[in-house]
Amino acid sequence: MSNINGKVYAMNAITPMKPWKTWILRGFFFLLGHIKPLQKDLIDLSFIEFARWVVLPRKGFPFLGNSQVKEDLKYDYLLFFSNFNGTWNQYIDAFSAVLSKGLNLVWRWSEKFPGSVPVTSFKEYIARVQFDTDYYFTAYPHATANDIKSAHIVQSSLDQLSLVAEQCSPQQFADAYLRFVLQVQSHLGETGEAPIAG
Amino acid sequence: MPNKSGDVYGLTILSPIIEDEKATPSHDLQIRDHLAKLSTREDSPFAQAPGTHLARLVVMDDVIYVGMPACEEHLQSKYLVFESNCDGDLDGYLRSLVDTIPDHLDAIWKHCVGYPGAANRQAFIDYMKACQLDTTFYFAAVNDKSVSETLRALQTQTAVADFIATHQGADAATLQREFLQFVALLKSQPPPRPGSMGPHRYIKTGGRNE
Repeated sequence: MSNINGKVYAMNAITPMKPWKTWILRGFFFLLGHIKPLQKDLIDLSFIEFARWVVLPRKGFPFLGNSQVKEDLKYDYLLFFSNFNGTWNQYIDAFSAVLSKGLNLVWRWSEKFPGSVPVTSFKEYIARVQFDTDYYFTAYPHATANDIKSAHIVQSSLDQLSLVAEQCSPQQFADAYLRFVLQVQSHLGETGEAPIAG
Repeated sequence: MPNKSGDVYGLTILSPIIEDEKATPSHDLQIRDHLAKLSTREDSPFAQAPGTHLARLVVMDDVIYVGMPACEEHLQSKYLVFESNCDGDLDGYLRSLVDTIPDHLDAIWKHCVGYPGAANRQAFIDYMKACQLDTTFYFAAVNDKSVSETLRALQTQTAVADFIATHQGADAATLQREFLQFVALLKSQPPPRPGSMGPHRYIKTGGRNE
C-alpha cells in the first residue's frame, strides 16, 4: 500500500448517492466544467496536480460475463480520485477552509455527508469513505504542482531569451538577461526530496 | 469531453477481479502482492511506457457503508481500479502500454475477468474500453504540457537557478558567451527519466517540519 510517492498523495474515496440525486450532481459538474470562473478556488488551491470525480450509476459497473456476477445495487456511487501535494490533514483542512461551498455542492448528495464545515466531522467522513492505493506512480515525484507551473514559466522565458541571445550586442543581451532574471526569480524554488511531515 | 482537460486524458478503468474459491491466495491478494513489489521509480513499467504523468492501481474490495439510515449493500466482485493521467488520446495511450509493457500488463490483469492478454493488441484495447468509466469532472493543474515537456522544464529550472547563481556580477560579454554555451549544453542533454527524483542537491534543513 502506498498512498504517497515523493511529494504527491493519492486519495481515493467512494460515497453512495440515491440515484435521483446524481442528476443534480451531474448538472453541477456540467456547469463547473463550462463556466471556468467557478473553478477559480480549485485552481487557487494550487496543490492539486490532478483530480477527478466519476459518477458511477448502480447499473454502470463493468460487466464482462464469464463467471462475473452482475451487481445489484440500490445506490449510485461517487468516486473521487485526487493527486495532491502535502499531507492528508493539510489537504482536508485547506479543502474545508477554501472550498467549503463547492465541496458541499459536490458531496451533499451523498448519504450521511455532514458538510465540509466544521472540519472535524468532515474529516471523519472522508476517513470513513477513503480506501488505500496499492500502487502509485508519478513521472516527477520530486516536484509539486507549483514547481511544475514555475518550471514551465522558466522554460518559456529561457526559450524567449535564447531566440534573441545570439543576435544582440553584449550590452543588449545583459539588459535582456536582467529582465529574464526578474521574470524567473520567483520561479526557481528548489525541487527534491519532500520534507518529512508529522 | 469530461475525460479530457486540455491535452491531458483522465483514464478511469474498473476491472472485475476473478472470484475463485480454489485460488490460493485469492486473485485480489495476488494483485496486491505483485503491486507491492513493483518499482515506483525509473524502472516502473509506467516510466517505460511513454505519456503517463501520474497513475495508480487500487484493489477496491467493496463499496463503503456510511452508517444508518443509509442501506448497507455490497459488491458481488472486487475491482481493480486503474486511474491514469496521460498524454494524448486513449487509443494511442493504450497502444503504447501494450507495445512497451505487455508482460507487466499481463501480470496484473491476468487476475481480472475476461482479460484477453496483451498479445492481441486490439482485444486488449477493446477490453480496456469495456471496463472504462467516463469521468464526470476532470481537473488538471497543468493541462497543455506533455510528460517529456514537464520533465525537460524541471531540468531547465534547476539548471537556470545554478546558472544565475554562478554568473552574478559577470561582465556582459562573458555572460552572453557563457549563456549561449549553457543553452546549447542544456538542449543536448536528455530529459530526466520519468519517475526519477531529479539531481541530488544539498538542501539546508532545520525547518519545523523536519
